[in-house]
Amino acid sequence: MYYEFLEDIAQTNRLRDLHPLIKIILGLGCILISVSSQSIVAPLIIIITISFATIFLAGIDFRFYLKLLLIPLGFAVLSVIVIVFMRNSGQILFSYPLGDWFLLTVSYGSLNEGILIFSRVFAGMCSLFFISLTTPVTETFGLAVRCRIPGEFIDLSMLIYRFIFVLIEQAAQIYNAQHMRLGYGNLKEGINSFGMMAGALFINTWNAAENLIMAMDSRCYDGRFAMPDDSAAMSFPLLCLVIVYLMVNTGIAVYTSGFVLFGVAY
Amino acid sequence: MNNIIEIKNISYKYPNGPDALKNISFSIGKGEKIALVGPNGAGKSTLLLMLNGMIKPDLGEIHFSGSPVRYDRNNLRELRRRVGFVFQNPDSQIIAPTVFQDVAFGPVNLGLSKDEIKSVVGDALSAVGLKGFERRPPHQLSGGEKKRVAMAGILAMSPDVLVFDEPTSALDPAGSEDIMELLDEMHIDGRTIIISTHDVELAYPWADRVILIQEGEILAEGTSGEVFYNKSLVKSAKLSMPVLLDLYDGLVERGMPESDNLPKSILDFIHLLYANSSDIRNTENMDCGIIYLVDADRINPGEIKSLISSLEINGIGAMGSKAKMMADIEKIELDYTYGVIDKCLLKSINRKNSMIITTAGMIKRVYDRVLEFNQESMRDITIRNCTEINTKL
Repeated sequence: MYYEFLEDIAQTNRLRDLHPLIKIILGLGCILISVSSQSIVAPLIIIITISFATIFLAGIDFRFYLKLLLIPLGFAVLSVIVIVFMRNSGQILFSYPLGDWFLLTVSYGSLNEGILIFSRVFAGMCSLFFISLTTPVTETFGLAVRCRIPGEFIDLSMLIYRFIFVLIEQAAQIYNAQHMRLGYGNLKEGINSFGMMAGALFINTWNAAENLIMAMDSRCYDGRFAMPDDSAAMSFPLLCLVIVYLMVNTGIAVYTSGFVLFGVAY
Repeated sequence: MNNIIEIKNISYKYPNGPDALKNISFSIGKGEKIALVGPNGAGKSTLLLMLNGMIKPDLGEIHFSGSPVRYDRNNLRELRRRVGFVFQNPDSQIIAPTVFQDVAFGPVNLGLSKDEIKSVVGDALSAVGLKGFERRPPHQLSGGEKKRVAMAGILAMSPDVLVFDEPTSALDPAGSEDIMELLDEMHIDGRTIIISTHDVELAYPWADRVILIQEGEILAEGTSGEVFYNKSLVKSAKLSMPVLLDLYDGLVERGMPESDNLPKSILDFIHLLYANSSDIRNTENMDCGIIYLVDADRINPGEIKSLISSLEINGIGAMGSKAKMMADIEKIELDYTYGVIDKCLLKSINRKNSMIITTAGMIKRVYDRVLEFNQESMRDITIRNCTEINTKL
């Protein structure tokens, strides 16, 4: 299943042992640059370079990566089509009357804007997937401590992370048990079975919570959680390289801010 | 032997439930291996949870190292540090998102320093054979590995007593044997071990003492032979007799003289058969195979493979997590990982050579066991320590 897949890849990819800070700076930096870029040049460069890093450096399967990207990009395409028709500025490319009242118009300005927004979303998604495919959640807890995020939040998120998988596993077991006994035959049955599953999960969760308290007590819980052993080595040359890359991209974004595909900038 | 835990007239009743325990008393000696055996719902888990103060008995007292258990926060913490409890389901015991963090959970809460934590966690993980798993998330581990993580989490608090609720439930046979071997290893390190189980085959050869409980009462208490070689007892506790004893019983019924010691392993059994059959004894060739001993700490990593190929060896066994890990790294195919000494002795009496890879702490155990067997069976099995000057028994 997908949930397991993403986390598994993050745990096993080739860039796993890189210090998470480097990967997160790279990913977040790219997102910032691409969403604030005024032309499609910088986002395009980011799409190419980050995808290259994800596929060749981290060793993520190309087809899987493409499939993963298709999910958010599907939504993006739909919204961009709406934008292209809604925003009108500059020379009109074509217009098409829809009955007597509506006029569908596409202008060069709206086309430019649509493409720009699409490229920003695309680059942003690539950067986000770079982070989520190369950085396991477990590696980010140590980083959260460094960022002075309150301990309560970190402890809670660690417990949630641990038990999400237990919950999903149980849900899958219950679902299978229902499915085997034809619990999802038609819609009505399906709704009924789903409700039963939710109820059973709730009770299981309650039990698990009680067991958790017992387990923590029997291991002398005193309000403290162990933090990850940050053994991943920080590589300063690599960090510098990432910063240089981000600066070059920022430069490109600023330098090409007037660039448009169709018509002239104004 | 001084008693580390004494249980005096304990009774307990779950709210809205039947009596879980009725007037139970027994004591546990330091360094004992005890199996609490009984059918499902007999009250085993309830009793075990009392040993580290998770449940307070309604009536009666529990004494730990001579003084009664007090149920205030500080005393309970100290008790729980010294009595480690490993739950039946590792999923409810593993708390943290990575193996390192989970094993470090206890030590962190005990207030150890960062360096101390690192070293105890490293030791605990290598004791259960999971070195290198530090950064893995628990949901990616197999059932047996999860169980080991749970054990390491308890070991890291360096308890004197280890309590295991159903240590082998939901594990495959190989996994169960590995866990039982680990329990033995922890026992050699001087810990008292208490397990609950309904697997008589595992409990019988392992336990020094067996406590049979049913419906909240102690049905019988004694050595594993005494308890399991009692047909009516075993039947009333809804258990079955271990296969070895069943076989022994069948042979005794056919006229085989009873032996002083009940057979605890296949080796014992074969020895018993030989001792009783003059036909076999007269024609039996008393030549024995050699047991080669390798100290995993002393041998140079590359040497062992060539050593094996230079000797005529029919079976290789490893004792202890460290030795097993080394064998894994060196890509040595292990034939035995559980009950290694007995299996190698068996090879020897079949006139075949075998090799035991182990670590310093356990070498003495090999010598002791072989010496004992030699005396018992009037044989002359040789141990050859490849990593030291050759020794002959």
